[in-house]
Amino acid sequence: MKQVSSLIASKIVSLKLFVSAGMLMLFFVPVSLSAQTDSTQKEEPATEEDSSLIAPSIQFSGVQKNDNTIDLKAGLTAKVKGQSVNLYKMKVTFFQVVNEEEKELGFIITDRRGKALFNVKGDSLKTDAEGKLHFKAVFAGNKAMDPAEEVADFKRAKLVITPVKEDSLLTVKIKLVDLGTGTETPVPEAAVGIFVKRLYNPLKLGEGTTDENGAATVEIPNNLPGDVKGNLTLIGRLDENETYGNLEATIVQPWGIPVSDKIQAMPRALWSEHPPIWMLVTFIVLMGVVWGHYLVIVFRLFQLRKEKSVTDSSTFKPIIK
Amino acid sequence: MELNQHQQAAFDQQRPGIETFSKKTWAWTIFFLLLILLGGYALFLQISQGHKVTGMRNFVIWGLYIANFIFFIGISYAGAFFSALMHLFKIPWGKPIIRIAQMMTIISVAIGPVFILLCVGRFDRLDHLFIYPRLQSPMTWDVMAILTYFVGSVLFLYMSLIKDFAIYRDAKMNIPRWKQKIYSGLALGYKGTTNQKRHLIISQNLLAIMMIPLSIIVSSILSWIFGMTLRPGWHSTIFGPYFVAGALYSGCGILIVLMWAYRKVYKMGNYFTDKHFIYLGYIMMVMAAIYGYFTFSEYFTNWFTSEEWDNEVINKLFNPAEYGWWTLFANLVGILIPIAIVAIPKTRKPNWIALVAFFMVIAMWVKRYLIIVPTLETPLLPMQDTRAEYVRYSATWPEWALTIAGIATFLAFFTLIAKFVTVVPVSELGETDLQNNHPQETTPIKKEEIQPA
Repeated sequence: MKQVSSLIASKIVSLKLFVSAGMLMLFFVPVSLSAQTDSTQKEEPATEEDSSLIAPSIQFSGVQKNDNTIDLKAGLTAKVKGQSVNLYKMKVTFFQVVNEEEKELGFIITDRRGKALFNVKGDSLKTDAEGKLHFKAVFAGNKAMDPAEEVADFKRAKLVITPVKEDSLLTVKIKLVDLGTGTETPVPEAAVGIFVKRLYNPLKLGEGTTDENGAATVEIPNNLPGDVKGNLTLIGRLDENETYGNLEATIVQPWGIPVSDKIQAMPRALWSEHPPIWMLVTFIVLMGVVWGHYLVIVFRLFQLRKEKSVTDSSTFKPIIK
Repeated sequence: MELNQHQQAAFDQQRPGIETFSKKTWAWTIFFLLLILLGGYALFLQISQGHKVTGMRNFVIWGLYIANFIFFIGISYAGAFFSALMHLFKIPWGKPIIRIAQMMTIISVAIGPVFILLCVGRFDRLDHLFIYPRLQSPMTWDVMAILTYFVGSVLFLYMSLIKDFAIYRDAKMNIPRWKQKIYSGLALGYKGTTNQKRHLIISQNLLAIMMIPLSIIVSSILSWIFGMTLRPGWHSTIFGPYFVAGALYSGCGILIVLMWAYRKVYKMGNYFTDKHFIYLGYIMMVMAAIYGYFTFSEYFTNWFTSEEWDNEVINKLFNPAEYGWWTLFANLVGILIPIAIVAIPKTRKPNWIALVAFFMVIAMWVKRYLIIVPTLETPLLPMQDTRAEYVRYSATWPEWALTIAGIATFLAFFTLIAKFVTVVPVSELGETDLQNNHPQETTPIKKEEIQPA
């Protein structure tokens, strides 16, 4: 019996030693062994992409505006490791092409979205025999990237937007005219849309097709929120037309409901700096009640010390009965 | 101070524990300290190398630390709730276990928030919680609630100890002078006068009344950190009572385990009787049923509505390839087996109840883990081009080491506190409290009869 108990005791001692040694071993385990691995540190095998230059591409279009200017819009992107990347801080040069002769208009450095917007005055541009304008956006390339270029062609035209108010009915008339021939010729059968400017992308209000006079009429709702004065910025658009490309006309009309964008000085809400009143009051009352009781209790504990002599000679029995 | 026979017997039995520090106690204390040191080393690595040594990444931003936080805070609320309830309702059989419950409250509420700091990482910005509080945030509510609750718990334990400190002071025990001085100071000159009794009883009752709603409110606030977040598996109105029930349930289990340990180690079978285990077993059984009901409601409503993201979490929880086995463990060991063990008369024994309570506590910890991690692994936005190890969470050894250090601190406290105060409150014991264990005589014992060891 003694042998059995001593055997058990020795087993227990060995087990304890084993556990202790195991715990101590943990001190020497490098963190990198147990912490999660970083898969990005694996070296990727060299691909063709790594050995050759990046091939960027340009998305290029023009927008003819009713202030007789043209916005030339270029977007510079490239595919890197299977992902489309916007190329930032790249120089994009814009040219007008007349009779195969390129005239440099200027250049723009791309923004974070890889966009370059160049505004050119319509008066300074020359059209070809068909009344068309030809533009080219060129990225010259660099050590890491190939050059790229793209062209945009469209016929000279104009959108005219006219507000019409009859009683409470609000409409706008959008007229599309061809300027390619030197005279203003109405363009029928074109799909035009009317939009209202918002913080980000414009909101589409309606669309219509131009009649034989080149005009389309679209109704405007009378309950749109405007700015402080109730102004709405209405935008007429012709998008991606085969002949005329993109056209845009803007007008400001006081047809909206005035909405103040002034931030309230001290809004009380969950998302503001100041909590709702009820929440503040509840918090103060709850904390006040609890901590007030704590103070009373601590005060009573101090009162215990004031008792100098034993006045109660009864046995020390439990108080809570 | 004069004691009645029961108080004298309780004091005599526990007195050697305070006066001596055995080799066994030294061994356990050193063992716990070593585990805490291991945690310290892990903390050093975490601070010096950053959170990359943990398994927490972009998506799963909470892991073991927050599971530990909820677990410890939960058992703390249970301790306060049970002790306040037993005090207020003057439950005679509850008097020997009130102090364990109160000690459990204090140490848990002290350890729990440390895990929040470990999770946040920036200790240097701790003061920002108070300098820049945002009252609308459940995080701020939690900080204020836990702080308030901690102060209340300390006061509650201290007030119940004042009379015992007076007994230790008057007993002239064979202890170092500094210890004697501490007892004398902490006793606040208590002599048992009528006025002192009045002040103490009013304060105790006042605080006990407050501790019950406070523990429920604070537990609910903790749940709102999850419930007020628009995440699948968290955004639920049931989370408040669910957390309260979970806290009381796991706390009841810890109480049973602690009672069993003290009964074995300090031979306190006459205070922590079979009756205590059976009564607490009944409470555990009822709480298991309530908690099981909440768990079923939570899973069933999420599963039935089949909302896309909720469904994904439910699938993760019940898929054996993911968390299925853990869910089974949490619900089987955490809910069904405790009910069965207490319900069957043959297994309604202290050892069985303590064993099932021990495993139930582990299962409840797993349950906390299952509340946190699967949800965070299911973000509302689709994951694209994300590394696999960022999506799936697996705890690293520094996290486990700090978790073990937290448990070691909890156990070290209970080992050391028994060397400083009597685990069974001496002054609270009356003639009728231990009917089954003590003779009925109530002959008062004079002060002179309190013998030094």
